Amino acid sequence: MTQARAIVVRHSWVAPALVTCAAALLLSSLAVFVATPLALMPVYLVKRYFVLDATSMLFLLVINSVFLGISVYMASRVGTSRILAQKILPRALLSLALMLGMNLGVMANNLLLLWVFMELTTLCAAPLVAQGESAQARRVAWQYLLYSSMSLALTFLGFLCLTRSAGLQGVELEFALDRMAQTLPAAGDSWQRLGFALILFGLGSKLGLAPLYSWLPATYEAAPTSTSALLAAVHFNIGIVAVFRVLQVLHAREIGFVTHELLIMGCLSLTVAAVQVMAARNYKRLIAYACVSSSGVIAIGLSVSKAAAYGVVLYVVSNAFVKALLFLTAGRLRAVYGTNEVAALSGVIRVLPFSGMLFAVGTFALLGFPPFGSFLAEMLILSGIVQAGQLLAFSILCTMLTIIFVATGRALFPMLWGPSERQGPAIVESWVTAVPKLGYVSVLVLLGAYIPEPVNALLRQVAQSIGGQ
Amino acid sequence: MRLPLMLFLLAALVPVFFGKVRSAPFWLVLQALALAWIGAIHHAEWSWHTLFGVLEVLLVRGVLAPLLLHRAIRLRADPDADLMPSNLFTWAIGTALIVLAFDFGGAAMADAPALALGVVGAMVAMVLLILSTNGAPAAQLAAVLFMENAIAVFESMLPKPWPLPVHLMLTAVYLLTVGVGSWLISRPDVPEPAPAEPAA
Repeated sequence: MTQARAIVVRHSWVAPALVTCAAALLLSSLAVFVATPLALMPVYLVKRYFVLDATSMLFLLVINSVFLGISVYMASRVGTSRILAQKILPRALLSLALMLGMNLGVMANNLLLLWVFMELTTLCAAPLVAQGESAQARRVAWQYLLYSSMSLALTFLGFLCLTRSAGLQGVELEFALDRMAQTLPAAGDSWQRLGFALILFGLGSKLGLAPLYSWLPATYEAAPTSTSALLAAVHFNIGIVAVFRVLQVLHAREIGFVTHELLIMGCLSLTVAAVQVMAARNYKRLIAYACVSSSGVIAIGLSVSKAAAYGVVLYVVSNAFVKALLFLTAGRLRAVYGTNEVAALSGVIRVLPFSGMLFAVGTFALLGFPPFGSFLAEMLILSGIVQAGQLLAFSILCTMLTIIFVATGRALFPMLWGPSERQGPAIVESWVTAVPKLGYVSVLVLLGAYIPEPVNALLRQVAQSIGGQ
Repeated sequence: MRLPLMLFLLAALVPVFFGKVRSAPFWLVLQALALAWIGAIHHAEWSWHTLFGVLEVLLVRGVLAPLLLHRAIRLRADPDADLMPSNLFTWAIGTALIVLAFDFGGAAMADAPALALGVVGAMVAMVLLILSTNGAPAAQLAAVLFMENAIAVFESMLPKPWPLPVHLMLTAVYLLTVGVGSWLISRPDVPEPAPAEPAA
């Protein structure tokens, strides 16, 4: 016990240092955004291995903003969680290593380099998952690593198929993003199609798209809450960036098979998520299945590309903040009630007024209510799907979203507003834990009600790069 | 080219059908030797890059990875598990997948690239079969390493090797995957205890 206390005292500097690093990352991203007009992008760095373009700029801002909130949450919990206080040094180091990999990966100007950073960030995330409180956390972390390794191995096989296709046509394929489109043979043979199919299948699995989605709910549930938020709201985005990069390479080409693959994976994921949300009795798992459904919406939106592209980009950005808000608030509920079971919680809003209210706000944002960015994004995606004439996809999307809405409401609303079994006054919550979550809510409202012009221009440019109008 | 490919195929398929988890490191060494042989004869002219590639395969895939896997198997104390469950059903599916993979690879015996494709296809199919039929973490890690070696065979078919920095990064990722994977599986699973304090 004394040794544990000594560790806690010796590492008391770690949490403030983590917050300082996170703040420095966000401030640097903001400074670069302000100092580099969109017209001057892309800016190539380090012998063209890295690029600062609209896509990398947008995701740098998103991941670093979300990470600052997560690090403040971790710092605020150090004082109340003995386990976190003892493990704060490895947790902080792994989180920072993950963020370094994320920042570099988002800026990578080479698909192979991006793949390497996806692997490296996964390797940082797996030990973080293993630090969960459940006895099975290590096993779940291994499953996470296994699924990720296999997904990324399939993606790598896809790269090799593309190289073979180019080799058979006497072309040397380059994986630098600015040159890949020119060196990719225009006559797409079966190797090229197989390559892109494998790449998208692998990346889709990394995003939690069906059929290889089962790692996601298990991992998000077993991991410590801050790690779940890190995975869902930050690490998820490197997979999205990789898909965007592939679509940017395929820009202005005939990519019917790619869009069909995305459409099928998207519809399948939504269906799976709808069924699982109906059965979920654990609020952390419920949020995890909502993440599967979000991946499905993104995949369907990307499959119709043109009209829905802006909506997809807005949805991705909103989702990062929604997931972070929900997971961090779920962590607070877990800390007070000591369980993830919905049945054990009732009248949360009376016991924890602030966290209860934030969880309700997060749930509404997740379900696509106004005035949040996710509402506007879902409307734009739905309208894009109709414009593209994909009426079957539109029907599936609407039906599944309705089922998810009803099932989520049925599970969570009694938990929030039901009769409380706990006696006594409401628990007073520290303002430090509230600040990041309030920041997330402000961003979500801003994205839904008024998007500042520089941010809007950035979103538009990213949407255009993936085939948007 | 055909002889090392056949050696690789044998080193990959024999353990899947007949091997126990404890023997997986030995088969990995054999696969690495075959891989190094393929790398050595694939390039007509020797360069520093070729030499590095061969040494990297021998050292990383032939020594370090099998050692880490061996250590994890020893610590996990479950060495007698089958790599793939030994029953008629999995054997029938496995055999069918190999035939299909070679069919996909074209006339497998016609030329070396077609044979290599057949080998890669068969390996990927077998790895997916192991992963879908065996829940033992040590067998799963061995399957992941078999998959990585299959990818290395495919890589060896490229007209030009990857640039050296890319090669180095891929090696680092491979080593880290083996390291983190073997660390995660090196402890036997424990039953779920009573609820404890949240970890945040």
